[in-house]
Amino acid sequence: MEVKIIEKDNVITALLKGRLDTSVSQDVATQLQPVLDNAGKTIILDCKELSYISSSGLRIFLTVRKAAAANNGKVIVRDINNEIRQVFMMTGFLNLFDVQESSTAE
Amino acid sequence: MSDNTYQLDPHCQAILQEYREQLPRFQKAAMEIYEQLKKVLDAACIVVASIEYRVKSEQSLAGKLELKGAKYASLKDITDIVGLRVITFYSDDVDKVASAVDRLFSVDWANSVDKRKLHEIDSFGYMSLHYICSMEGFPYRFEIQMRTVLQHAWANMNHDTGYKSGVEVPKEYLRNLNRLAGMLELADEQFSRIRNELTDYRRRVQALVASGNLDEVSLDGDTFRSYLRLGPFDALNRRIAAVNQAEIQDVNLMPYLSVFKGMNCKTLGDIDRIIKDNAEAAYQIATYQIGLTDLDIISSSLGPQDVCIAAILRSGGGKLGLKMLLDTLNGVSDSNEMMADFLLEQTRDLPFMNQ
Repeated sequence: MEVKIIEKDNVITALLKGRLDTSVSQDVATQLQPVLDNAGKTIILDCKELSYISSSGLRIFLTVRKAAAANNGKVIVRDINNEIRQVFMMTGFLNLFDVQESSTAE
Repeated sequence: MSDNTYQLDPHCQAILQEYREQLPRFQKAAMEIYEQLKKVLDAACIVVASIEYRVKSEQSLAGKLELKGAKYASLKDITDIVGLRVITFYSDDVDKVASAVDRLFSVDWANSVDKRKLHEIDSFGYMSLHYICSMEGFPYRFEIQMRTVLQHAWANMNHDTGYKSGVEVPKEYLRNLNRLAGMLELADEQFSRIRNELTDYRRRVQALVASGNLDEVSLDGDTFRSYLRLGPFDALNRRIAAVNQAEIQDVNLMPYLSVFKGMNCKTLGDIDRIIKDNAEAAYQIATYQIGLTDLDIISSSLGPQDVCIAAILRSGGGKLGLKMLLDTLNGVSDSNEMMADFLLEQTRDLPFMNQ
């Protein structure tokens, strides 16, 4: 699981690549610390190359969302694949996040 | 600035000199009074448009002394060196602020004035409440003015034409200003009345919701919010969560107001019936979807989401109805069509679809 952080024009983007499951969740949470440190900005969780998400991954997304809410920031979940979208739907997380696709993103 | 700049006699020069020496103390006191007042108003949940404070400038004080210096035995007789002004949105709140000021400071009633009560029944004009106050540890009195934003607007407009301008203003102009004062007084009264009526309405709605008379409560933002406080989806969410021993993440359910309105709900009773009629079907959907996964976290929107899915499918809304639901909740997107197909496929063989 790879995490790459890019900061540009007050927007902080986390590119997530691979499977976000329990085995890597602690490592991903650590790698996302710069995002939490900038939670007052617009945060994009770019999931173009994220192939799978487990409950642990959902909890990490939730942590980012809570940090952003506490700092008047904003979280956009971008380009999730169909399987992850179904997980979001089945758990009610689809209502929780601003889920966008690149073609319609701000 | 030298005292020679002003036309002051020795008595007034002494007052001015004391002012200069005490200026840091006035500035400190002004800020302290402001902070105390703000704290009390915040604690009492009295929302005001603004609280302003200032220390009278040397130039302004000298001007006052030039005009009527003989009237003051000492600096302590001048009560507006430190001045605060509280601007409220509603006329009722002027009295609430006054009450807070009375509790916080010692009010010199003999020198305080309620300009709102000075007008005859057929006259309109400056409306403001002025309290002359003192507090422990500060030997000078200070003034707190309290008025509404509309009274403040009128006072500012009147300032150019009023007592300080020194210019003779045509009577017609003054008459128009006074007519405006009457109109603003009426507007202030109406704003307060509207607020009171709205508060009464909310209380009535809360009582109806609490007593279960949901068919008598029209659906709108306020009533839906009151209804959500009853936790109408809690039992369903807990039942769904129990399938995987999942934790429930609380989220704002207000976006469902548009969904239920789109489902022709006119009252809270309509929503309540949809929930009761579809809770079992919603549980079947959720169980089928997460029962064979290890997902152990759900959001509190899962209950209402699956209730709405079940209601749409049972009423024959089909794919189009599901897409409209997803468009309303998540924004219009092509992926909603794909999700609608996914939901149709997943629910096709569930027991509620064959009843």
